[in-house]
Amino acid sequence: MTPALTVFLYGLMTAVATGLGALPFLFLRRISPRAVASANAIAGGLMLGASFGILAEGTTYGAWQTLMGGLLGVVFILGTQRWLGDHDTALGEVGGGDKRRMFLIVIVMTVHSFAEGVAVGVSFGGGASLALAITLAIAVHNVPEGLAISAVLRPRGKTVLACAGWSIFSSLPQPLMAVPAFLFVDTFRQALPYGLGFAAGAMVFMVLEELLPEAYDQARRPLVAIQVSLTLVGMVLFQQYL
Amino acid sequence: MTPLPDLTLVVLVFASLAAATAVFGIGPFALGRGVPLDHIGLANAVAAGMMLGAAYGLLVVGLGLGKTAVAAGAALGIMFVVGTHTASGTEDLDLNRLDDRTDAYGYQVLLVNSLHSASEGVAIGAAMAVSRPFGVFMALAIAVHNIPEATVLCAILTGRGVGVVHAAGLAVAANVSQILLAVVAYAIIAAAPGSLPWALGFAVGALIQLTMSELLPESYRQTGHRSIALATVVAMGIVVFMRGFAA
Repeated sequence: MTPALTVFLYGLMTAVATGLGALPFLFLRRISPRAVASANAIAGGLMLGASFGILAEGTTYGAWQTLMGGLLGVVFILGTQRWLGDHDTALGEVGGGDKRRMFLIVIVMTVHSFAEGVAVGVSFGGGASLALAITLAIAVHNVPEGLAISAVLRPRGKTVLACAGWSIFSSLPQPLMAVPAFLFVDTFRQALPYGLGFAAGAMVFMVLEELLPEAYDQARRPLVAIQVSLTLVGMVLFQQYL
Repeated sequence: MTPLPDLTLVVLVFASLAAATAVFGIGPFALGRGVPLDHIGLANAVAAGMMLGAAYGLLVVGLGLGKTAVAAGAALGIMFVVGTHTASGTEDLDLNRLDDRTDAYGYQVLLVNSLHSASEGVAIGAAMAVSRPFGVFMALAIAVHNIPEATVLCAILTGRGVGVVHAAGLAVAANVSQILLAVVAYAIIAAAPGSLPWALGFAVGALIQLTMSELLPESYRQTGHRSIALATVVAMGIVVFMRGFAA
């Protein structure tokens, strides 16, 4: 097997692992408004935690580039929302926007996988000896990202299988980007902080604009807050231990 | 571990400076203008973003020192905020009831502000124990973030008929717990250096929980979601970016 093919196959395994994030929803039958609020809060905490990790990595490559990437990420979300034909989600909006939120979370998580794929490829570039360890780590790290996606899709009527499918889809850019990044490490290393900043900016903005306000609308404030805080800190530590 | 240089005075000076900057929050009122409700939402959002950025900085530094201690400290920080909110009956308190003139509301608002500042004090003290530049950075970030927070407090106070000078004084007074906790946190860490990752974790958990339970929820009700998200993400981005020059 050529090293490039190895990187691709390992990357594909990590993508499939993302689908495991849908599994907890097999055991959740009825979905009440409070469960939706919890799902939003948990997805928000997971994405904020993931962004913290990505920012820490991006700023080690370059703080300016990460900041610029972050601004582009925010602009990207604003552009996507405009393209989706949005109306400003002002005060007291009920229902509505479900389709948009589902679309946005898939887009945001898919785009963020591009940056992660580059990060994987660049770290493989150091030598394939650690390949299996890195792959395993990323595969496990992807599971909560699948959970974040499923937490948004499942309460809005998607089946568990569809949740798993979209979760895997969102991670496909990882193997696709890992290979060129592995082959052209030096070029991609320069682009990496922009990509990581972009991913973090897009995720944080999406959480703040779409997920948190909805969570606060549907559950009591302290409950939402504690769920976001615990998942945020938990996600950062989870990624650290891997 | 090498003993820490004695920065107690530096902590005292910078924490006091951070507490005192609250006086600038009175700006719009001193100019004889009120502050509309949607601007209060934005002020809260800027404060929230800076808190998240500060929590990020503390977390990154803390994880380098001890992961388990940071995790346990963060859990304690979250519990501390939840506990004090519940014990004082302020877990659902809105900081935007400009027309609520009851005494109880007035006390609760001042209490919430004082408790809020206490956690920020731990952040300053712990950051100073990491290094002097990081401590100064943290104190300055908290100082700037105290300004929009004080604006919110002053809007409530002046709405209740408190004079502008008096309101500015109360805004600073509500931050006195910040100075106290900064010095105490630093003293404890200096005496027991092993407690540093715990203190950093505590500050992280408390700042995030404060952001999520006090600052963001009411912002969303005062201004459009998009403006709040933009103000928060930009404020957070700037603090994350600036940290690179201090750590």
